[in-house]
This record gives sequence, structure tokens and C-alpha cells, in this order.
Amino acid sequence: MASTAPSLTLPPSQFARLQPHAYLLAHLSPPASSNQPSIRANGRAPAQFRVTSANTGSLTHTNGSAVVRVGDTTAVCGVRAEILPTDDIASWSVSHTSSRTTNKRQKLANSDSEEQQEEEDPNDKSHIQDLNLLVPNLSLSTGCAPGFIPGAPPSALAQSLSHQILNLLHSTRLVRAEDLRVWYQPPSLGGESLERHNAEEQMDVDDEGTGKEDDGEKAEVKAFWVLYIDVMIVSLAGNPFDAAWAAVLAALRDTKLPKASWDVDNEIVVCSDKVSEARKLALRGLPVASSFGVFEADAAAGWRAVIVPDAEEERLIEEGARKGIQRRWVLADPDGYEEGLSQERACVVVDKKQGKTVIVKMEKNGGWALDGQALKEVVEISARRWEEVKSILEQC
Amino acid sequence: MVGPTASLTPLARADGSASYHCPSTGSNILGSVNAPVELPGRRDALKPEDATVEVFVKTGTAPASVGERYVEGIIRGVVGRLILGRERGYARRGVVITLAIVGGESVGRADSHLTLLPALLHTALLALLSASVPLSMTFSATVLSVDASGKITREPSAEVAAAAKSIHVLAFTSKGHLLLNESEGAFDFDTWEKVRQRASAICHGTSTVGADGDIAMVEDADGQPLEGTIRETVEDQVHRDYAWKIDAA
Repeated sequence: MASTAPSLTLPPSQFARLQPHAYLLAHLSPPASSNQPSIRANGRAPAQFRVTSANTGSLTHTNGSAVVRVGDTTAVCGVRAEILPTDDIASWSVSHTSSRTTNKRQKLANSDSEEQQEEEDPNDKSHIQDLNLLVPNLSLSTGCAPGFIPGAPPSALAQSLSHQILNLLHSTRLVRAEDLRVWYQPPSLGGESLERHNAEEQMDVDDEGTGKEDDGEKAEVKAFWVLYIDVMIVSLAGNPFDAAWAAVLAALRDTKLPKASWDVDNEIVVCSDKVSEARKLALRGLPVASSFGVFEADAAAGWRAVIVPDAEEERLIEEGARKGIQRRWVLADPDGYEEGLSQERACVVVDKKQGKTVIVKMEKNGGWALDGQALKEVVEISARRWEEVKSILEQC
Repeated sequence: MVGPTASLTPLARADGSASYHCPSTGSNILGSVNAPVELPGRRDALKPEDATVEVFVKTGTAPASVGERYVEGIIRGVVGRLILGRERGYARRGVVITLAIVGGESVGRADSHLTLLPALLHTALLALLSASVPLSMTFSATVLSVDASGKITREPSAEVAAAAKSIHVLAFTSKGHLLLNESEGAFDFDTWEKVRQRASAICHGTSTVGADGDIAMVEDADGQPLEGTIRETVEDQVHRDYAWKIDAA
């Protein structure tokens, strides 16, 4: 039996492991003679995101849940609501006025206009932030990737991702504090309101217009809902933040809070178990996160001492005219392989209001390739991504 | 506008250290650098030819929280790109940067550390210079807030930052590249362009390129450019350290 000669060529998978930088570079800059387009090693165009799918309501024990899959990165998010009675808040009686000035909830319930979204509530920020009504946590210790040992304490990456989610929830003011308040309207002891009391309506019905002031009884906040937002990255193949944030967003859109009311006799908050009385959260906007990595053709760019060109000189080089080691590519939604090869990262969170793109958060770190023009393109790509994610979230 | 004050090598036992005080944000940071050191937990399989950069941020008045891990990641990203980790004696070893927030406004659980970030970055840079860690470039950073009317405030105090619509931290290398951008709050790209221009002027002055290609730093409404402040701090220290030699000559 004739033995086959040992092969002298390497299969692509081995080349990718041995020379990752050269492998990706060869894909992105094919020889001009081969007539091949410049695509990434994973077959995507530089500005192309991975296939994204979302599924909501998968976890039955939560108030809202979602599974979001971006390529091979999968995030599961569950939102659980718990009651925080104001009696348990040590500084409540001194630091907060709990009376309601307008009957806001009714307005919120039946209108979702843009004007409504712009409405400012002075207590909104302070209540959610001071009382920590939103508690996100992200866990990577699930065996999601070889580098993360299951059952280990939260890594620095998991901690900073949790912080980023919390920070974004606060800075976008996504959740309305009004949705998280449980009100109590004391019955006024006049004859007219006694009838209302009998009709068991005293908890949630607001007096129309000026009726409340006439009674001299003020509605007060008796409790808050605290939302525990837990994200598990089940599988990690790069870009955990986009997937985690999309999962948080989808889960909050899915979240339903039961109707809660204050029981005066027992002095506890009672929740109705009728699904028809539960209401969804009215979120402000739909901020969508997109992350990018910058791949530089010069493998030594990170550590060469002397030949970093001046920014002024560099600006004169047109992006299209860059040759050889000056070339660089902005890769949208980098996977695990590409993340290991790009030092510079960017993350843009955009929302659209009346067709206008609003940047909610923009960060770039770890390099100097992205500046003015390149960042503008990144924002434009993110704005296109917003449309994509919006349609995905609306379908699920 | 009162510029920041800094001093090099206030700590005797660390390889390098710096203290930094910014009067407008009220932040006061003490930083130390030890490099190169052997790191016990380092795995050689991970980037064997490079140095590992570790950053620790300690809060002064507030309890420690996950926010510091996030800031540590940002600082690691910035200085990790500038440290020449493949120089002799640095490969497979560690550069450990410890930054303690000594004074200033305490930062809450959910607050971003953005107003503190430039002071932390400057302290880290000065401490690295004090420890003579090889760097490819230096940098300077600033924080700007934009209020609802579009007014840009340089290095806002905690109250101004709380009322602002968006906050931006930008860092520029000594060669003028945008090294870091952290923006949060609602804004559009044109606003950011304005912020970038202003930040560039604060860090580098409105530079004019001379006939011989030299860039002259010009003082303007923002006072001395930050890049110059950092340079002078180091120059003063070097002058003091070599006083014996200069006097002898």
C-alpha cells in the first residue's frame, strides 16, 4: 500500500491559529490580481453585523425576559420586580415629598406622544438613582468561553459590563420612575367619596382635575418596584456588550408589573394576580448599542517606538490612498477572533427621535485610528444598525 | 482659570509616583507605579513578548464598587497602548499602576467617574514618567460638559456635571491624535465636533505650525495648554533632581 506524501500546505484553520494577524490581513487585503472583494475571515463585510435574533418571554418565573443571540454570542436576561415599601427606606420621610402634583399616570397610560416622552420629572432621576431601583448584574461565569471558569468570582470584565449597563440605564433614563411607584390615595371622609370607597376604586383612580385638592387628601407613594435585571452570557464569541444591552432592552420591553395597591388595614402592598390588570413599562426611546474594533495592518503598531506620524501629517493621507502598513479597517461587531487582534475599540449607543439620530453614548479607547471622519462613519453605521435592531425587537 | 498642580515622586518606596490636584473639578489623586515587576498570576501563554499592565483605582470617601473596574479598564486601554511593553526587561513582566482618590467629591454607586477621569489619567502618566517606564508618546486629557443651551464648560464641578446634558472626556496624544473619547448623555455629532475642537485647544492650545515645521503652543482664553503643564512639571522635577550637576557645571 503506497503511503501518501505528507502535505506541505497548511489547512486554513491551522494558519488562522498560528498567524492570526496575517490570516485576517490576507482576507481583508486580497491581492489585486485575484479579483476578490475585501472580506473578513468570518465572511462578513467590514460594516456588517452578525445575524441577530431575539426571543422574549422565555422564562416564566420572571416579570420579563429575553434571549438575544448575536452570532454565537448569546445573552439571557431576566427582569424580576420586587416591592420596596417606603417604610423600609430609612431617610424616606425626611428627604422626599411623596405627594403627587399631577395625575401623571393617567396621562401616561393613554398617550405615548413625543411630547410626553420629553416630559421632565424632577423626582425621576433622583428616585431611580438614589433608591437604586434598577439593579443590573451580568454574569460571565457560566462557562461561556474557555477563558472564564464557571463558578469563579465575577471577573473585571463582568463587573465593568454590569457598571456600563447600569450607567446606560441611568443616563438614557430608559425606565420611568412613575412606572415604579405604588400610590395610595387616602379616601376623603365626605359622603361622596365614601361611595367611591365602597366601589373599591379608591386606590388607583385619580380625582379628575381639581377634585383632589378639594378633598385635602394627598396621594402618597407607599412603595416602589425594584427591578433586578440579571444577564447571563450563555455563550461568548466577542462583543458581549451589544448582546447584553439588547437583551436588557428586549426584557424591559417585555416586563409586566402586576397592579399593586396599598392595603390600609394590613398596611401591606397587595398585588392583583389578574394578568389583564398588569401593565407594561413605558420606556423612553430605544437606545441601541453597536461596537466596533479597529484592525491595523501594521502588526507592530502597538509597540513601535518612534514612527508614529503626527496627527496633522496623517490627516493629509486620504483613507483610500493608504497603502501597506498604514491601512486599517473598522470592523463592526467584532467576533472573538477579531477582538483578540484589535486593540482599539469603539462603542456607540444611538437612538432616533423624530427621524433624527441622537447619540446617547460614544466611547473609543486603545488607539488613534478613529477620529473626526472615521467616527462620523461609525455613527452612521450605528444609525443603520438601529433600524435593524428595532425591527428585530418589534417582531419578537 | 486656575490650572492643575502636580508633583512628581512624592512617595519614596515606589518606583515612580505622582500627586495631582485639579482645582476646578476638586479632584485630588495620588498614584504610584511599580515597573517592571514579576506578577505572580501571570500566564506566560498570554502574549509572552509583551508586558502586562495592571491598573488599580481606590476610592477615597465612597465604598468601593464595580465602577472602579470600569475606570480601570479605560485607563488600562489608554496607557497600555502607549507603554512600550517589549522594551528590554519589560517582556513577561508587569507594570502595576495604583491610583488612590485622596480628595474631592465622592462618587456614588451608579455615577460615572467621567469628571475624575482626566485627573486619574494625568496622575497615571506622571507616575509612569516618574518611574521611567518607556512610552511611545505622552498625552493630555480634559473633561467638558455641555448644558441644555449648548454651552460648553471646561472641567465642570460636580453640580455642573449633574445638571449637564452630556459629558465628554477626551484625551489627545502629544502628536495630536484623539486617543480616548468617553461621551455620555444625549448629543448629536455636530455638538461633539465642537467639543472636540475645544478640547483640542485646551490640551494643545491653538497650535500654529511654524515655517520650520515646529509647532508653537499658544496660550489663549483657556490659559496654558495642559500638554505644557505636564511637560513643565516633569522639567521642573528633572531640574531639581539634577541641581547638583547643574550647580557644579
